[in-house]
Amino acid sequence: MTTSLDQAVETIAPKPSLSGGAAAVLGAIRSFRSSSGTLPIGLSLLAFLVLMSLVSLIWTPYPPTATGAGAFSSAPSAAHWFGTDAVGSDIFSRTISAGRTDVFYTVIAVAIALVIGSAWGALAGFFGGWLEAVTLRLLEVVQAFPSLLMALLIISVLGPGTLNVILVVAIIPIPDFVRLARAEVLTKKTWQFAEAARMVGNRPLVVLFKHLMPNSWRPLLAYASISAAWVCGNIAALGFIGVGIQPDAVEWGSMIARGESDVVAGAWWEALFPGLGVLVLAIGFQLVGDGIAARNRGEQR
Amino acid sequence: MAVEISAPPPRSLRGIAVPKIVIVSGRRVLSAILVIWGVVTMTFLLTRVFGGDPVNLFAQPTATAADRLAIRQRLGLADPIPVQYVNYLRDVIHGNLGTSYLTFRPVTSDLLDRVPATAELATYALIFGVAVGVTVGVLSAVFEGSIFDRAVRIFTSAGLALPQFWVALMLIVIFFSQLHVLPGPTGRMPIGMQPPPTVTGFYLLDSIITGHLSTFWPALRQLILPVLVLGYGVASPLARGARASMILALKADYVRTARALGLSRARTWFVYAFRNAMLPVITMFAGTVAWTFSGTVLIEGVFGWPGVGQYTLNALEKSDFPAIQGFVLYASILYVVVYQLLDIAYTFADPRIRS
Repeated sequence: MTTSLDQAVETIAPKPSLSGGAAAVLGAIRSFRSSSGTLPIGLSLLAFLVLMSLVSLIWTPYPPTATGAGAFSSAPSAAHWFGTDAVGSDIFSRTISAGRTDVFYTVIAVAIALVIGSAWGALAGFFGGWLEAVTLRLLEVVQAFPSLLMALLIISVLGPGTLNVILVVAIIPIPDFVRLARAEVLTKKTWQFAEAARMVGNRPLVVLFKHLMPNSWRPLLAYASISAAWVCGNIAALGFIGVGIQPDAVEWGSMIARGESDVVAGAWWEALFPGLGVLVLAIGFQLVGDGIAARNRGEQR
Repeated sequence: MAVEISAPPPRSLRGIAVPKIVIVSGRRVLSAILVIWGVVTMTFLLTRVFGGDPVNLFAQPTATAADRLAIRQRLGLADPIPVQYVNYLRDVIHGNLGTSYLTFRPVTSDLLDRVPATAELATYALIFGVAVGVTVGVLSAVFEGSIFDRAVRIFTSAGLALPQFWVALMLIVIFFSQLHVLPGPTGRMPIGMQPPPTVTGFYLLDSIITGHLSTFWPALRQLILPVLVLGYGVASPLARGARASMILALKADYVRTARALGLSRARTWFVYAFRNAMLPVITMFAGTVAWTFSGTVLIEGVFGWPGVGQYTLNALEKSDFPAIQGFVLYASILYVVVYQLLDIAYTFADPRIRS
């Protein structure tokens, strides 16, 4: 039984000579996790976050950016459900408002990576030749950068800022999408429907993007969701380091950074709640990704 | 599927033709050099071509054009880009990563000074993470579907989704701020305490070697939390990999044959299945090593750990390009070397690949 996701996983696996064993393991990890309930649970978690973000547009107990909404660094209470931070801002208001930033940027970044990576990989797989050769070499080099380091390097060059952060966290997963899309197209371009699409006189690009790619969106989407879990972690990490969207932005990572020194002194609520936000978002995306992958396998069986 | 095989591999190393090792290793070394050259080129392009003008970091606001040119010449930035590139390559080959804009010292010696701190932390984290991850993964495969297995699944899922810097802060809250059983994030030693004299740079080892046993316990206590956080991150993917691989191995024909031949359950599990199951895990380990050494960036920041990670964070804050480039180079060389070494080890540990 070889499904397209198995093949996809195989291509994501680290190095050619090792990919057999690693692919088997990765495939097995996926399949053992894929109990049927993951998709609904994941979707509910994401829906919950989106709902909170929407609510924060029209209502928050206190303005999220207001300082001195309460006492400085006060513990959770009836007036401030999640407590207040070092400048007296209400952490509940900030946490739900920050969801807007983190969820939105994660989705945008993953969408950019998905579109660019898939198109690139599909073209490389479809046309082969020098494009494919250069792509494979490039992927090998990029793989030698641990991803967070690459983010740090690029951000140190571009400087902080909203757009740069999105770009950087979008660049990191692109190689994976390139590999995945290339593998998808490589296996499917010899299938009969592709043959048929070519025979009736469609131009190559039409065959690729109108006939081949629509048949490959499931594994790509599954991977997009799984990589979103990493992307939101990276956004938070950049915010935490202080090279994120902007210092003191209403963003989970930056909130944790602002609370860091107080947390060490015992004000746990300043880091706990924004961290839970990242956690729920990451787990939500992971479960959705697993769910789509499981469904995909189920239908192909 | 490479894991499904019909007989346990013989473990003897007989039959390896020497030239084969040379050929395989030679090819690996060549490909490693190519990748590292690619990394060097990419960091060069990113920082020199697309990066901002570092002259602004040095020049006074009142500096004249001549002043700025002088600074640029001093930094070697006045030459055309291709010339700079050749110079940069030559310097890197000689181990010269440039001079830090911040410390005014060679980046190489800055990094070397800080490597022991990071290496000590990462080594213990890897040992802890591999031991726990593999044990827990194998056990949960053997007891598939049990409560233990389900608990492991939850813990490892969390380990993959949790931001490490946050886990670190939460552990500090619990064990330092609330329970007062472990020290706060003050680096490798409690504030005001002298480290043992340097021999290896690993404080625990040094305290034993030099007989400064009074520093052993404080140094160990400083290590517990960061090692725990990093080790958790190492253990989570490894436990999953070991579990999945072990489940495949347990279902293989040779395990059934071994059982049918009357070998004990424990022997089939832990000798026959385990050996085969661990081969793919070796592969995952390579990725884990690289991940640990870059994961230390944030963890060192949280724990005030004076290693290369914290150095990089400082460099990042101040746009110290040579230092950042140096760290990226250090990390990717480490990654490539570890990866190729493990790849070679893997090739010769598995007779199917070897032949």
